[in-house]
Amino acid sequence: MQLTISNLTKTYPNGVQALKGIDLVIEQGMFGLLGPNGAGKSSLMRTIATLQEADSGSIFLDDMDVLKEKAAVRRLLGYLPQEFGVYPKISPELMLDHIARLKGIDNGKERKQVVGALLNRVNLYADRKKNLGTFSGGMKQRFGIAQALMGNPKLIIVDEPTAGLDPAERNRFYNLLSELGENTIVILSTHIVEDVRTLCSDFAIICQGEMLHRGKPDDAVSNLEGTIYSKAISKAAIEEYRNDYKVISVQMKGGNLTIRIYADSDPGNGFVPQPAVLEDVYFHQISGRMNVITL
Amino acid sequence: MFWQIFLFELKYRIKRPATWIYFFIFFLIGFLSVATGSTPASEKVFHNSPWVMASGNILFSMVGMLICSAIMGVPLYRDIEHQTRNYFYAYPITKGGYFWGRFWGSFLFVLLIGTGFSWGSVAGGLVGPALGWVVPERIGHYGLWNYFQPYVVFSIGNLLLASTIFFALVSLTRNVKVIYTASILLLIGYLLANFLVADLEKRELVKLLDPFALNTFELETRFFTPVEKNTMLTPITRVIILNRIIWLGIAFVIIGFAYWRFSFQKFLQPEQISKRKLKKATQEPAAPELIKNVQQDFGSGHTKKVWWTLVKIEFLNIIKDNYFRAILGGGVIFLIIDFWIGNTMYSVGNRPLTVFLMDYKNYNYSLFIFIILLFYTGETVHRERTTRFNILNDAFPVSNTVFFLSKLSALFGIAFLLCNIPIITGVLVQTLKGYTNYNFGVYFTEMYLLTFPSYLQMVLLCFAVHAVMNNKFGGYGMAMLIWVVMFLLRSFARMDYNLFFYFYTPNYMWTDMNGIGHFLKPQNWFNFYWLMLGSLLATLSFLFYQRGVTGGFKERWQVAMQRFNGWPRVLTTVFFIAWLGSGAFIYYNVSYLNNYYTGNETRNRTAQYEKTLKKYQNLPQPKVTTVLLKADIFPDERRIQIAAKLFLKNKSGEPINEFHLLADQNVAYSILYNGKSLGYTSPLASPYSVFTFFKKGKDTLNYRIYKLPATMQPGDTGLLEVNSSIANQGFLNSGFSREILHNGTFYSGGIPAFGYDQQRELESDEYRKKNGLSPKEDDLPAYTDTKGRNTILFNDDADLIHFEAVVSTTADQVAIAPGYLQKTWEEKGRKYFSYIQDSPIDYFFSVVSAKYEVLRDAITISDGRKINIEIYYDKQHPFNLDRFVAAYKDGLEYFSKAYGPFQFRQMRLLEFPRYAGFAQSFPNTVPFSESFAWVADFKNPDDFDYLYFVTAHELAHQWWGHQVTPNYTRGANLISEALAEYTALLLTERKYGKDNMKRFLKDELDRYLSGRANEAKKENVFINCNRPYQWYNKGSLVIYGLRDMIGDSTLNKALHEFRDSFALKENPPFAGSHDLYAFLKKHTPDSFHYYLTDTWEKITLYDNRLIKATAKANGKEEYDVTLEFSNKKFYADSTSKEAVTPMNDYIDVAIFGAETRDKEGRKKINPLFIQKFKLQEGVKKMTFHVKGKPVKAGIDPYNKLIDRIPDDNLGEVDLE
Repeated sequence: MQLTISNLTKTYPNGVQALKGIDLVIEQGMFGLLGPNGAGKSSLMRTIATLQEADSGSIFLDDMDVLKEKAAVRRLLGYLPQEFGVYPKISPELMLDHIARLKGIDNGKERKQVVGALLNRVNLYADRKKNLGTFSGGMKQRFGIAQALMGNPKLIIVDEPTAGLDPAERNRFYNLLSELGENTIVILSTHIVEDVRTLCSDFAIICQGEMLHRGKPDDAVSNLEGTIYSKAISKAAIEEYRNDYKVISVQMKGGNLTIRIYADSDPGNGFVPQPAVLEDVYFHQISGRMNVITL
Repeated sequence: MFWQIFLFELKYRIKRPATWIYFFIFFLIGFLSVATGSTPASEKVFHNSPWVMASGNILFSMVGMLICSAIMGVPLYRDIEHQTRNYFYAYPITKGGYFWGRFWGSFLFVLLIGTGFSWGSVAGGLVGPALGWVVPERIGHYGLWNYFQPYVVFSIGNLLLASTIFFALVSLTRNVKVIYTASILLLIGYLLANFLVADLEKRELVKLLDPFALNTFELETRFFTPVEKNTMLTPITRVIILNRIIWLGIAFVIIGFAYWRFSFQKFLQPEQISKRKLKKATQEPAAPELIKNVQQDFGSGHTKKVWWTLVKIEFLNIIKDNYFRAILGGGVIFLIIDFWIGNTMYSVGNRPLTVFLMDYKNYNYSLFIFIILLFYTGETVHRERTTRFNILNDAFPVSNTVFFLSKLSALFGIAFLLCNIPIITGVLVQTLKGYTNYNFGVYFTEMYLLTFPSYLQMVLLCFAVHAVMNNKFGGYGMAMLIWVVMFLLRSFARMDYNLFFYFYTPNYMWTDMNGIGHFLKPQNWFNFYWLMLGSLLATLSFLFYQRGVTGGFKERWQVAMQRFNGWPRVLTTVFFIAWLGSGAFIYYNVSYLNNYYTGNETRNRTAQYEKTLKKYQNLPQPKVTTVLLKADIFPDERRIQIAAKLFLKNKSGEPINEFHLLADQNVAYSILYNGKSLGYTSPLASPYSVFTFFKKGKDTLNYRIYKLPATMQPGDTGLLEVNSSIANQGFLNSGFSREILHNGTFYSGGIPAFGYDQQRELESDEYRKKNGLSPKEDDLPAYTDTKGRNTILFNDDADLIHFEAVVSTTADQVAIAPGYLQKTWEEKGRKYFSYIQDSPIDYFFSVVSAKYEVLRDAITISDGRKINIEIYYDKQHPFNLDRFVAAYKDGLEYFSKAYGPFQFRQMRLLEFPRYAGFAQSFPNTVPFSESFAWVADFKNPDDFDYLYFVTAHELAHQWWGHQVTPNYTRGANLISEALAEYTALLLTERKYGKDNMKRFLKDELDRYLSGRANEAKKENVFINCNRPYQWYNKGSLVIYGLRDMIGDSTLNKALHEFRDSFALKENPPFAGSHDLYAFLKKHTPDSFHYYLTDTWEKITLYDNRLIKATAKANGKEEYDVTLEFSNKKFYADSTSKEAVTPMNDYIDVAIFGAETRDKEGRKKINPLFIQKFKLQEGVKKMTFHVKGKPVKAGIDPYNKLIDRIPDDNLGEVDLE
């Protein structure tokens, strides 16, 4: 299965251009989406999830026109949006049962089993009879994961799924996802850059509606290998360094600043070479578009 | 600290658009009321007069409760809602500063919004006349204080009370939703309280306890005359001050308590969401394993299942909602109360007939239904959006159609549920009251066939609006706006063409006699028409139904166009065609067949009639002397064929060259004069309504001028044969069209009248001016006017006539006309009845036909005459027949003895359907509406037997009206109405006792005082009376008062003599008010002449008041009672300007013991002392010695005199 996005554009009525001609081919497996806030990640994911019209361009899931054959896409889809609400006076068990029915699981026995199993997998089984309204942020998020995985989806779109999860839950989720993701397309957006490297076979960086980079995480990191240097400097000197070097990140540590720069050759001047990480790729890509240094 | 928070609150509020929208709404209400003259002011009262401003301010400050709840609910809740409490309370703020700053900051805006009505009225008073929306004469010139005095006196207090309640509720419960329930409960409580205290006795208490002073104000000013309403600022009476002190005090207590209980800590605690109690299973079952390949089915079977699941969920979501239950509960409470009490007459209730219940359910319950449907349609459509679940939901594999239809179906289910509640409640109430004639056919037809479609229409429209609108509150606003605009157009612009008003249908009414009758057809057509439009709108809204994240208008339009394929396209076409088609059919019926006219057009036509034809008013016309009537009634077709022979005589003293004939619109007739047909011209040709654009020709109003072949000389006679056909085609836009019915025909027309009819002229001077007519002089000619004296008041086409009739109807009905039944026969499946009236009667008759049961009885009165009594009644109403018979028997006996012999050998009473609610006296026949008396439930011995009273009144008309016929001069109608009312009062008194008449007298007095308070032109003195409140209510009072002075026998002698000199005169002159007055004067001793003059020739009012009554024991069970009281007397002129006048008049002074019950269980008043004293004006003290313990005492305790404030005559006695 293959998801092919061609020249996808979207402009909101308030004039914001969310997608500027995105071209992307996504194969089976986990696909990571990186990008700063407002980059267009959620817009892209909503459009794939049939919830938003595009101005132009196309999305095909194999032969299926996602923008037109919405009903067909929805039968294959598991979607976890960044923000969602729940009915506060209903238990997750009841809600998932209802969702299972909507997803075509008409057999009551099967439905019960699926619901129970999913709740168990997201560690909500003990709380399955509590009202959703009493759930904490993390519990709610896990409920969201459970509903997205309902009905063996072939296309799973999860928008910042680990927000609000503690590290243990996060791992549990990734394991679940990896297990399911074998014959599935999983599109995952996150702000935790390293997660992409550990999880995803493929990833893309989006900024201001444009795709800046696409490829395998390891390739991206190895491409940068040998170009990243760091140095501890005084606070006052930061402007100077900024003018002279391509600074990609700044970190405060014990009253001093540590900056990381990108340089094709050794810049000297006390800079120390560093091994590249995916975060460097990310900052390197977007620093051309926007000022990522906030200090 | 207070100031910062206070100022922040002001800044916050001032930026909220809602603040200004609320203000603008109140401004608009005030503006439109005054500018368009849509106030409760009667014609002599200015639309911006102090009284109107006060009642408006009070009413709208009460409505302002809703604003208070919206504004006062949020200031504290805001910090909870937006979670700002988590840091806000960590700032160094004080409890007092926070609490009071928020309170006063918000309350200031409530006060500001409260002034909207007054400012609007000021503007309306300036703009209205300038734009010609209201005649300038109806707008007074007042300073600003006029508009704002009532605001200061009433509104501020009302707003403060409501504001403190809502603010305190949020502060105590930390829940904002409680306010919606509270405001509904408050409203319910208030309406309930009003309901329960609608008793005459408890007025003083009501005045104090009304939290909004609405009743206080109404009761205090209820007898204000136009002059007072125009000139007097609301008087700040003692009771108003007390009321305000009580309620302002309560307001301060409430807010003080709330402040005392308020604490930041409590506000910081998270809200408890009630957890469903978990049943701890002893053994937690192990979680099942994940299935790798679950079966998913998306076939049509699945679609149906999903639809049904969603419907159930939506339906349960609504009915499990606490607010739904609260609102519905409120509705049911009202339903029960309305069903239980129903309509009362003189505080006597009716049996709970199903046909009545079907009316009552619209009193209050329908308002709750409206709220529920409006509110929950929005809730349902936006449910996912509100909880932001939509972003998950919309990605599920369920089609738009299923989502859309499941919501719609669930709402239909709610509508259906709401339809069943009146049935259940109704049957319950009927059973509890022991009434078992349930009439399920009526319940089911009404609720399922008539009401259910109307609920569906409402759901469809609201649904369409909400489906299209992005925003829930926008949807509510839009839906409300549609209804408000329709309401405004109907009530302010007085438009009533139902075809243009969504959800409106012509009015209809259930009756036991006639069932749903001819109303079913128009109801079904209109319902179908609106259902089609509603479905069309809903289908179109489906195209715009939102799924996922919606873009701009362009995108939504594109989506809609994509969806406009397949079934939406087919349905749109089908609904559109069905809607237009049914609309065309309705139009054909309403406008084409039945000539609909707008209110303006009707008035214009009436004005046209007057302008063109008034010149014929005094044209001599012949008089009818004998009528031979043949009437064939076809109840199933609602048609009557009449063939009448009228024998005419020229009694005018002048030659007659042409006949002017005027008939009702639905009468098609032709005439033969002396066997020959005559040609006619139609002098009037007015255009048809603008709505009737297809119909050709002009409307002649059925006024025809027939040129006679030969002049009819004075004294000449002739024969006029009239053949007329009265048919009802199609259906009307409004009105009952109640005369010819499937069962219960009661028809008095069909024969054209002679000459110009002055009664048809426009009455209101305001409308006359708009239509280019001069103000109407509505007084009849002076009593000396010869033509007036020679004309009978009720009909100038004849003096007394001879009458015979053959009436036919279907075999299952009985047809009745005046006269004695000669024979009946059947012919071709129809029944014929022949009647002959062998003594002269008024030219005033009706034909009646219905399926009747008959109760026959007879009385032989002491003068030896035998009189047959016949009661024709519907078989479902056999309850009170004996009371009718008793009234007839008592009356026939007493009236014959007191006033003179009864002129007929029979007396009949006929029930007719309740489309009209009156009883009317025809010669020896009284048609009596089904709506009252027949079904009254006189279960309490104290219940006022109004059946007896009304029957006596109608019977009395056989003497006063039919024996002595009033002439066509000023005040003459008092002979008919005042004497009948007094005579009935007398008969009732004979049956129920003299000391128990107070309730009735007070009722008459109330009606008189309210009548004159709402007088639109001028008040005449009694002898020239020209209004019902004068001839009925003042009339019975002043004649009763006279009898009280001169005694029964003297008054009866006077009336007997009066009757003797005018009874059954076939030729003029006929009796006028001065003729009666002369007889009364003759028999009244000189010492009481002042009373006659005061009551008949002047408008006299008293202000008699008990100040204090104290008693001291003096011996065993004996007391000395000291009364302190004041007297005052006024004369009022015709514009109700009053002047105090010296007095020396007879007035009752009385002391009462405790009330007891007589052997029938009836309440009995026990006067210990009652005597007339000649009293002068001023304050007096008198002491009397009585036996028995005094309880109450007073002056003019029975309200025999016309007292401006009747309530303060009687008071408790303080024992020392």
